[in-house]
Amino acid sequence: MAALPRRIIKETQRLMQEPVPGISAIPDESNARYFHVIVTGPEDSPFEGGLFKLELFLPEDYPMSAPKVRFITKIYHPNIDRLGRICLDILKDKWSPALQIRTVLLSIQALLSAPNPDDPLANDVAELWKVNESEAIRNAKEWTRRYAMDT
Amino acid sequence: MDGQAKQGSQGGESDMECSDTECFDDYDYYNNDDNEIEQIDPKKTDIEYFSCESLNEEQVERLLNETVELLSNNLQITPSSAKVLLHSHEWDVPAIVRNYKENVSNIRIRTNSAIVPQSQICFRYITCSVCVTTQNSDKFFSLSCSHSFCKDCWMTHFEVQINQGISTGISCMARDCGVLAPEDFVLKHLARTNLREKYQQFTFQDYVKSHPCLRFCPGPNCSIVIYSKEIKAKKAFCSYCKTSFCFKCGIDYHAPTECIIIKKWLTKCADDSETANYISAHTKDCPKCNICIEKNGGCNHMQCYSCKHDFCWMCMGDWKTHGSEYYECSRYRENPNVAYESAHAQAREALKKYLHYYERWENHSKSLKLEEQTLTKLKTRINQKVMSGLGTWIDWQYLFTAAELLAKCRYTLQYTYPYAYYMDPGPRKELFEYQQAQLEAEIENLSWKVERAETTDRGDLENQMDIAEKRRTTLLKDFLDV
Ligand SMILES: [Zn+2]
Ligand SMILES: [Zn+2]
Ligand SMILES: [Zn+2]
Ligand SMILES: [Zn+2]
Repeated sequence: MAALPRRIIKETQRLMQEPVPGISAIPDESNARYFHVIVTGPEDSPFEGGLFKLELFLPEDYPMSAPKVRFITKIYHPNIDRLGRICLDILKDKWSPALQIRTVLLSIQALLSAPNPDDPLANDVAELWKVNESEAIRNAKEWTRRYAMDT
Repeated sequence: MDGQAKQGSQGGESDMECSDTECFDDYDYYNNDDNEIEQIDPKKTDIEYFSCESLNEEQVERLLNETVELLSNNLQITPSSAKVLLHSHEWDVPAIVRNYKENVSNIRIRTNSAIVPQSQICFRYITCSVCVTTQNSDKFFSLSCSHSFCKDCWMTHFEVQINQGISTGISCMARDCGVLAPEDFVLKHLARTNLREKYQQFTFQDYVKSHPCLRFCPGPNCSIVIYSKEIKAKKAFCSYCKTSFCFKCGIDYHAPTECIIIKKWLTKCADDSETANYISAHTKDCPKCNICIEKNGGCNHMQCYSCKHDFCWMCMGDWKTHGSEYYECSRYRENPNVAYESAHAQAREALKKYLHYYERWENHSKSLKLEEQTLTKLKTRINQKVMSGLGTWIDWQYLFTAAELLAKCRYTLQYTYPYAYYMDPGPRKELFEYQQAQLEAEIENLSWKVERAETTDRGDLENQMDIAEKRRTTLLKDFLDV
């Protein structure tokens, strides 16, 4: 495997020295491009109290291409589908090489605080979120309790 | 080069033809006498006439470059920057110039190196925010937005973008910065020849697609670009692969139906394909003797091979009632009281109405294909005749002309059905349906005669051709709105 680019080394160092509050991202021992991520459910959101596992992978042409990120913990959210794929513009067409792992994780945390049912990935969830928000929030809390609290 | 004078005359000679057609349109309208049609240039009488040119890549390149040069001279900007502007403003030079003069600061695409801030030009070390590498400032470049990044990062950025098929849309690497990278800036940073070629191929495609007067020929494996100054829903024709299509929307030509209506119709047909499936029967029973009859020609005027009963394949009614004055088969009789019926009954009525139009649309499309087969068989038979000394090739040409005309008429007839489906009830719809019925009756007469061509009198056939084409042009003159 090619040597790790300076950019990845720098970002990793900074993530370890000044971690983002509520998020831990730890590089895999055998692959420095693979990160084990845990995001704490934001306060005053239906995900509060949950710990959500994610995987983050930096592709060969990172930072020219966006990192690949996926939820491993099941989550009831209009912008995250059953496979854990995330609908987030900066992970797709709005990616810029000047963005960092840190910005991506912050954006995911913000997405948990403010779900956007108008740009859905999980259609049934988004539909319920629009027509009956309180029921959707109840479901999200239920899933958080069932899948994202210590087992 | 004199910029003003060149403007808007990319088509060269075709200018003259256009204005000619316009003059003659009126002339034709008032002198629509049958006898004269053959003497007048078809270009001038044909309301479907469309002037377009088939260009190869080199010719397109030349046409685009003329416009680029015009704009870059006019605004004193590099050709690459001119291209960026043209691509994002539909190649409309006058509009860009107006815009530019009103608000120079809004258009921020300039030559790149000139805009690098003075402070960076002097010798010093900077860190690239993408690769976090510190280098001498002469290794840094920026677009008009002044976001500077190192040479290597630009190169990788371009490589990744081009490999994703992006070319004219490549923007600056800074977050939320939408400034586009002009061609010369990209090419300057690309080292590999195959990527440079790929990039130029992609930009060419983007330029053609963004140009209102250019269309890629939709023909399979055809690289021709069709050029027309007139952006109308008319029949564009590729002179290389012979494909024709609607110049405005790019799909199959669809007169008299408009582009949005045909799109709506085709979507509806695709959505309702299940419901309409049962229609595709090739056999029906003779309404008189109940013997099973297979339709193997295009003509809808059927004759039972057993009892010789003449009937209509579409409505199964007696063909005698299909004389042109009483032809009712094409029209859908709406239930006048439907508004007072239950929702269920209304839904049933809506489906019935759709199926009526769909059935006819589909049937004519099938007839077109069957008539094509008839023509192929006819060709073989005529070939045999000529070979055995029965007449010469030229003697039989009129038959091919008849078959060609039949196809043209039936094609138009097919596309009258979506038009009628979306029409509001009223006198205009009544007139349309009247003309449609007339056209349909004459087309079936023509088809009947073409199928029996070798035993039909030539004069009789040619007379029938005239009538059918006249009905077709009458309908188009009254309803084709392009
Ligand atoms: Zn920029
Ligand atoms: Zn760099
Ligand atoms: Zn072609
Ligand atoms: Zn069209």
